[in-house]
Amino acid sequence: MLNALRWVVFAIAAFAVNFPVIVTLVTSFKSAREISTNPGLFIETPTLENYLTVLQVSDRLNIFLYLANSFAAAAIGTGIAVLLALPMAYAMVRGGLGAKTLLPLIVNLRAVPLVIFAIPIYMMFQWLGLLDTRFGLGLVLAIVNVPLVLVILVNAISEVPLDLDEAALIDGASRTAILFRIIAPVCRPAIATSLIFGFITAWNEFLFGLMLTTSKAVPVTVGASFFFAASGGGVQWGVAAAVMIVGALPPMLLGLLMYRQISRSMMAGAVKG
Amino acid sequence: MRIAERTEWNLLATPLVAFLLLCLGFPALVNLVYSVSEISFETLRSPTLSGFGNFAAVLQDSAFWRANWFSLRFGLLTALLECVLGLFLAIFLAPLFKERSWPLAILMLPLMVAPALVGLMYRLVLHEFAGPVPYYLWQWFGNSPSFLGINSAFWTLVAVETLQWTPFAFLLFHMAYHAIPEEVREAAAIDGANAFQRLTRIELPLMTPILGVALLIRFIDGFRVFDNVYVLTGSGAGGSTASLSIYIYEAFFKQGAIGKAVAASVLLFLASFAILYGLNMIARRRRK
Repeated sequence: MLNALRWVVFAIAAFAVNFPVIVTLVTSFKSAREISTNPGLFIETPTLENYLTVLQVSDRLNIFLYLANSFAAAAIGTGIAVLLALPMAYAMVRGGLGAKTLLPLIVNLRAVPLVIFAIPIYMMFQWLGLLDTRFGLGLVLAIVNVPLVLVILVNAISEVPLDLDEAALIDGASRTAILFRIIAPVCRPAIATSLIFGFITAWNEFLFGLMLTTSKAVPVTVGASFFFAASGGGVQWGVAAAVMIVGALPPMLLGLLMYRQISRSMMAGAVKG
Repeated sequence: MRIAERTEWNLLATPLVAFLLLCLGFPALVNLVYSVSEISFETLRSPTLSGFGNFAAVLQDSAFWRANWFSLRFGLLTALLECVLGLFLAIFLAPLFKERSWPLAILMLPLMVAPALVGLMYRLVLHEFAGPVPYYLWQWFGNSPSFLGINSAFWTLVAVETLQWTPFAFLLFHMAYHAIPEEVREAAAIDGANAFQRLTRIELPLMTPILGVALLIRFIDGFRVFDNVYVLTGSGAGGSTASLSIYIYEAFFKQGAIGKAVAASVLLFLASFAILYGLNMIARRRRK
């Protein structure tokens, strides 16, 4: 009996927290006429026309470009973060380098409102010609990702048995060689988790996408709103809904596939932070 | 040998440190210089020092204080609501997750969606003609409030933020709850503690540290909120829904008031640094 109540509560909570996604998904399969007569949660005559409209490329709107930009910037931002954080994490765990001062400082970066750095970064990018480029956006996303990636990797490396290092040291291997030949392969699951987590975070970032890009490198979180004002007049809600689903789908799928790893790293990040 | 090893560790650490110094240290410096300069988009490269005028301007700007007040209220309220709801769900639903974990994935789903997109989605959800919420409210009660109007916008935004991030609090509590060793519960049960006593005397006290952590994380994220508020209401009527992040963004991009925006950034930086430093000190003292 109590268990049945638990399922009811679960269903209500699941419905409530996912409500915007559900509504958007439902609306994306309705024709423009049906949306105006039936805004409810049930579809009378499902249609794919909104998705077909979204996929059409025009001068002003190009969903493929936004998706490619998001993908490229997120991949750059995640790759750089992991590449930089891995040696640092190794030096922190085994070399005791900055574990007491630098680690908390970097972890705390996560709690600093990023808008603080937004203005000087904008100016810096203007000097360097990095405004409205995928690489520029990727660089900033790497900053966003570094703290959590570092925490995940530090945790993973501290679980690697010391014997592995020592055996290799006796064989005359350098620390750098040990890092890439032994530590990195052993920590592959943690590296994968931080790549996925970083990718999702970077894909979903909005503030820097809004500030640092204008046309060529616009990510999908920003580009989605372009569709709201698309055809003059009112918003075409079916098309807007389809865009939002397309933009939200990649991280959602990744999240559904990897939710165990992701929840564990969220916990790790929280406890350290 | 020792020195060589020391050097190698330093080499391994260099890339990240250099990257952060370049991408954050330098901008922080630029912030400091610009905040005490007279600056506009035309004189970006040749700022003239002008003392603390920018800070005075910010501190006298009522919009700055209103944004502070918004962020503070928003952060506190959403953090509290999310933690209370998350704690309830984690404990009440705990038996459901013992044998299966797929329900977790469903509750976690909102965490994977960009807050900016969630904000846009609510524009649809709450739209007076195309949105299901006003539609059903009209159908059932013959009335529907204007959710994004000046009186209810704040509460709508609180609800939007809370619904998306309650799963985060839930997840932390869920993991903390299941990390309590089963023997502890059994021992308490043998000593005659009923389910309620076990909850209030054993489980909740064991979860207090993570409760504090979750409140802090959610407060910080709520305080610096930008994405969903920006796409839903922007700064709102008369700046009524401008968070501090939105205030800084708009001062810079919409008004071109670079000096003011930068000075506000520096103030925010100092405040968050002071708070984080204080919290770290407390945490360290407790660990001892």
